[in-house]
Amino acid sequence: MNSLLMGALAYAAPLLLQAQQQQSALKRFEPTLINFLMLSFLLFVVGVAGVLSRRNIIIIFMSIELILNAVNLNLIAFSRYLQLNEQSLNAQFQASGVTVNPLAGPVFTVFIIVVAAAEAAVGLGIVIAMFRNRETVAIDEIDMLKW
Amino acid sequence: MQLHGWEAILFYALAIMTLFMAVFVVTARVAVHSALFLISTLVNVALLFILLRAEFVAGVQILVYVGGVMVLFLFVIMLVQTRAEEEARVRLYTGQTWPAVIIALLLAVAFYFAMNPAQSAFRPAEVAAATATQAPPETGERVQAGAGQNISRDTQTVGHALYTDAALPFEVASLLLLVAMIGAVLLARGTKQEKYYE
Repeated sequence: MNSLLMGALAYAAPLLLQAQQQQSALKRFEPTLINFLMLSFLLFVVGVAGVLSRRNIIIIFMSIELILNAVNLNLIAFSRYLQLNEQSLNAQFQASGVTVNPLAGPVFTVFIIVVAAAEAAVGLGIVIAMFRNRETVAIDEIDMLKW
Repeated sequence: MQLHGWEAILFYALAIMTLFMAVFVVTARVAVHSALFLISTLVNVALLFILLRAEFVAGVQILVYVGGVMVLFLFVIMLVQTRAEEEARVRLYTGQTWPAVIIALLLAVAFYFAMNPAQSAFRPAEVAAATATQAPPETGERVQAGAGQNISRDTQTVGHALYTDAALPFEVASLLLLVAMIGAVLLARGTKQEKYYE
């Protein structure tokens, strides 16, 4: 029994070692703050492209929601980064009197969500009023102010 | 900040889902499809918030965005929808596709030059990574409420910060919501209701 275990260990040891090496190779791809920033940036760019290129005003509003969500993701990722590195960053900035506040991220995010909700309500009210007057939601047909 | 193991896999899965759904939001022909894809994007972002240990914000995102704002969007789409888009009779895009692409590329270049110098600073050092594998710092700020319980303190701390440090903006936000509500009602009511009230 014992020798069997030893044999299994001897067989498994190189495999385990290899797995560990592979793990350290995979470590490069473990997401850090920069990956979250990239994701948030790509979300932002998709939102900007939607705002600039679409014709339906409701979809433009949805793209604005995408942009706001990208910003929220950014804030939360930085908040998490500050939360995990609070002590070292505080020690680093002690001389300049700056202290790190990881709670600012979630608080700002809550306010952004509140403002987004208010913006959506008022904006969609304007869309309904506009549709009642002009029978269209295409932004290039809403051009009364263009003269 | 470095996610390990399943969290890393989950991050990539959620990131890809989020980006695909966001692209579908922008490219969908029918506005209702766009809204449904946007709901999917918002849920994915909420899951990413949970991955970042911001449970309160994730809950707010689901409740306010998916439960409130998106329902509003769907109602307005139903009120406003013309059948023309579904029957492929109208153009989906304005003539600004090339400016949009150029601006997006310029943003990409700006992001690259802004983030490239900082990238090494955000990546944890080898020593930190080695210690992190032995004792993950993720467990550090989670409170051990009792035996076997692992409850996040996020909601408590964020709520405390909202009512103490950010008390004035909190009240201003409630006023903003009141104004937005009255404004939306005023904007959306028709001539029939106006006659009724006068």
